[in-house]
Amino acid sequence: MSELLAFALAVTVLAPLASVTVVGFRVLLGTRPASESFAAVVIGAGLVLSMIGGMTTLACFAGLGGAPLRGEVEFGDWLRLNDFEIPAVLLVDFISVTLSLLAAVLTALVARFSRTYLHKEPGFVRFFVLLGIFATGTQLIALAGALELFFAGWEMVGISSALFIGFFHERAEPVRSAVRAFATYRLSDTGLLIATVTTFELLGSARFSVMEQAATLGPGATTAIALLFLLSAMGKSAQLPFSGWLPRAMEGPTPSSALFYGAVSIHAGLFLLLRVWPVLEASLVARVAGVIVGLATALYAAGVVRVHTDAKGTLAHATLAQVGLILAEICLGWIELALVHLVCHALLRLGQYLKAPNLIHDSHRMGHEHRHPSLLERRAPQLAGRLYAASLHRLRLDDRIDVAFSPVLRLAAMLDRADRRLRGSLSLDGVPE
Amino acid sequence: MIPAALTNPAPWEVLACCLALLIAPTVASQQRSNRWILVGVIAMLVATLFAPTGPLAYVAAAVASLLHAAAAVSRSRTGAASLVIAAGLIAGAAVALRLDYLTTAFVLSCLALAVRTGVMPLHAGVASLCDRAMVVHVQQLPSAIALVFVHLRFVDHHAGALALAPTIVRIGAVLTIVPALMALVQRDLRGLYRSSTAMHGGMLLAALGAASLDNYAAALLVAVTMGLALGGLGLMLTSLEERVGPVQYSGPGGRIQAFPRLAAAFVIFGAAGVGLPGTAGFVADDLLLHTLWLESPASTVTVIVSSALLAVSTLICFARVFLGPAARSVAPDLRTREALGGALLIVLLLVLGVVPGTLLGPADAFLSDVGGTALSGR
Repeated sequence: MSELLAFALAVTVLAPLASVTVVGFRVLLGTRPASESFAAVVIGAGLVLSMIGGMTTLACFAGLGGAPLRGEVEFGDWLRLNDFEIPAVLLVDFISVTLSLLAAVLTALVARFSRTYLHKEPGFVRFFVLLGIFATGTQLIALAGALELFFAGWEMVGISSALFIGFFHERAEPVRSAVRAFATYRLSDTGLLIATVTTFELLGSARFSVMEQAATLGPGATTAIALLFLLSAMGKSAQLPFSGWLPRAMEGPTPSSALFYGAVSIHAGLFLLLRVWPVLEASLVARVAGVIVGLATALYAAGVVRVHTDAKGTLAHATLAQVGLILAEICLGWIELALVHLVCHALLRLGQYLKAPNLIHDSHRMGHEHRHPSLLERRAPQLAGRLYAASLHRLRLDDRIDVAFSPVLRLAAMLDRADRRLRGSLSLDGVPE
Repeated sequence: MIPAALTNPAPWEVLACCLALLIAPTVASQQRSNRWILVGVIAMLVATLFAPTGPLAYVAAAVASLLHAAAAVSRSRTGAASLVIAAGLIAGAAVALRLDYLTTAFVLSCLALAVRTGVMPLHAGVASLCDRAMVVHVQQLPSAIALVFVHLRFVDHHAGALALAPTIVRIGAVLTIVPALMALVQRDLRGLYRSSTAMHGGMLLAALGAASLDNYAAALLVAVTMGLALGGLGLMLTSLEERVGPVQYSGPGGRIQAFPRLAAAFVIFGAAGVGLPGTAGFVADDLLLHTLWLESPASTVTVIVSSALLAVSTLICFARVFLGPAARSVAPDLRTREALGGALLIVLLLVLGVVPGTLLGPADAFLSDVGGTALSGR
């Protein structure tokens, strides 16, 4: 039975990766472009296999046909060098099995939906390759038993997310949005990477199973690590002040928006916090910060959602509000509630996003409902007006981040000029302009 | 008695990576390489990696550097001059090693590596090679990897190296953040490549510092990854410029439809250089961060931030060069031989990323063990 579990886990993670490799090499080395049906069949097969692997894992976890199997499943070492190890270890518990199956089923569904939705779209093959990378990344995130593997999945999701946002790359706006989303991801990912290295060095391992020992590290170290995890979660789940990239992410194709920003990817930050809960639990400061950030994001998104007129933008902020609430639930220690909230929210949003293109049709058919003034608008129209304007501009979050980052760019430009002068003075051939 | 270098897989594996990196540009590029120089470089690579003594290995590395200088001189005098200076430093290291001045040999070897890999502010030569003779730059990367191997094998095993380690780690870390910042404001493809090269040079320097604390394999993997990722990126850049001329960010992008395979390979090499999971870059970065932590946690944070900044710059570059309204081009996508050259390097990056132990295990055993023997047999 344990061999079956190990096999099922391996299939769950590796099947999408194998399908991406096949299609990737076909694209790179083939003399003719890969056909739609080839990409859809190969990647689809990988996703279906991954889903079957996820179901088998659930069966083993639930104990169907034998004793329930839980805990770490070792696949040897990805790398072992003296005292340093990157273990190839997957973790089977309630949280991991739930997210793994949820992600596998939803990704396979979206792949089937996209086969029709994106038929004859120029980037069809690219879409499916990215979907396969995303599926591998989410399975690694869900099932990883150590932070290094988790981080590998985290990065795969981040890269595929950015490339999905820039999918319609002929237009300038999706490309700009992709770069902004990726920059937010990558800079907030530094928190996860630093936390991973710190955890390994202080606890001797970056396995999730050793997180229980976090309380022994002392309040300073625990709080620092917990805040770093929180920072990464905030970036990935678009919490304030990193919320600006989420509405921009709606530039991508609707199926990927549904999967990433409605169902799976947007919840990855929350999943990280569920995984490292023992560290978070040991740090009151980080938990309070998480509750404040979550509630502030929920309030902000609730304000913005009222003034948005486009379907996907409204859905993005509605998603953000719920994600903020789930973050607050996790930081309050309501783990089970947060997990149920997360799963239900993912399912609901996926349906809503996939239906978004029909929304205009529906609204024409069903007519518009007249909006009555709210209590605030009746009692304090000036305040309501200001809130309306602030929400319309989304608190100018992106502008503020640009302003905060501008000294870094000025420094970079200064260094570049100095470098050109230095190279110019040393060069025998001159420095090209 | 058979020399240890011949029986351990590590030098052979490094040689395989170096040969792939040396041959890939020759296969891919339309530019004619001087065959005699290429044969000479291959011979010197073998001599560098398998030499029984340190001075001999350094002499071979110095000759290789001079051969690269000969290849570069017609297109980049600055690049050729820097390769000659590097050869002088390497020869100095050989002499110092022969005379038992181990700390001097270590410092000269570090300086030579800094010049060869373009660590700021000693990067004028490499920057010029990147601007004017990209193929020569790519082809000098394998002998730089071989030089790292020799450095780790012969001069990184004594108290002087250990004493200098903290300083080198910190200098290396600082010299990653400067080019990573500069990468953000580049306005052309070669500018990004120059900054990327300088940043990787800084990472390698930091890795060499940390190597003294028995982290030899980590430094070797950083060097090999740097070579493969930068080499592949350089090849793709050359292929693109052969088709469309110099690439400025301000000009039209939209080249992905005309050159989809080139764009895909560009993404893979660029991402491998900033630690894409599944490639050697991910393992190399992870290993490096852990080894740096032992010496200086602040340096670890600096390198992490540098890598993040370079990743953002690489995506900006990709977006501005390849994405946007479709540009018309009559030039073909990657030709078969260019694709083969790129695929060879991609396979190596993937193999080392998925099963890094194939190189790291033997290399760690060899470099950790051989130090004492090498010193005594000097």
